[in-house]
Amino acid sequence: MAQMPALIPKEVEIQRLKKIWLIVIAMGSTAASVEVDNFVDGSLHQTSIRDSAFTPAHWWLYSHFVALPLGWGAAAIYDRKVPVLRGPNNSMNTGLKMTILGYLATMFTIGVNEMWHFWFVEEIFAVPNHWMFNMGVVVAFMGALAYVVRVYARLVELGAETPGENPYVAEMYKMALEGKLYSRAIP
Amino acid sequence: MTLPKGFGSGGSGGTSSADVERMIGRRVENMAGIITASYIAAWLATFGGTAAGYFYYPWAYPTPSGHYAFIVLTIIEAIGYIFCVKVMQEGSNKNSNGMVAAAVAGTAVGTIFISLYVGN
Repeated sequence: MAQMPALIPKEVEIQRLKKIWLIVIAMGSTAASVEVDNFVDGSLHQTSIRDSAFTPAHWWLYSHFVALPLGWGAAAIYDRKVPVLRGPNNSMNTGLKMTILGYLATMFTIGVNEMWHFWFVEEIFAVPNHWMFNMGVVVAFMGALAYVVRVYARLVELGAETPGENPYVAEMYKMALEGKLYSRAIP
Repeated sequence: MTLPKGFGSGGSGGTSSADVERMIGRRVENMAGIITASYIAAWLATFGGTAAGYFYYPWAYPTPSGHYAFIVLTIIEAIGYIFCVKVMQEGSNKNSNGMVAAAVAGTAVGTIFISLYVGN
């Protein structure tokens, strides 16, 4: 099994990984809240077309699309303290990169969305100004999943967590530990 | 093992438990209090958000929708809170089940009260 050499004491690494986990759970709750507002916003627009940028359902959505890239940015800053989570060429972890880029896309789409609605006062789900909200969230979810699996696999490797009993899940952790879950080249 | 600058005994010795404790700082199993405070703050902020609908924009955001959103979000926050405390304390001899039970029960009662009596 290709293991990274221990660069920091095991006990320190476990504590730091769990602190990362605290941030991830907070960000996950925030993302779940966005999903709830996806339905609240959609149900509002079933009955009322766009009135202004400042209806409560939009406050709710937009505040999260600012909080999520900033929160994951905070995770990236703390992530530097765990050597095993570094990405290619000692850069940021690939999953974190995808997550931050995805949520940054949603943050900038707030501006794109407001420009579009300056001319077109509708709230049809499929119009182009909404595309990057949805694509950004999907990219961010993929990156966050890759990052969470990597953190969990390392906690399994350090003996702080027990591997999954489901043989398919256990196989996934085994591949992640060997660096083969997503790519043979990208850790 | 090479430790960061400022830790260890100048390259000649190993890692002492005091060094490890200094590198860790505040241990995660001792963070139940700040996690609980954060959970309650998040719950109050959620009420503040839906209160904009109850009191300021009832025409755009009907009170029953606000109550629905508040209940669902309280459940999401409570699940996240329980996960946080349980994961941070697993493998240690710390146990904050009483505090978790009190916080979750308190917010549950508060949520029911708000859903029944607050709003237009």
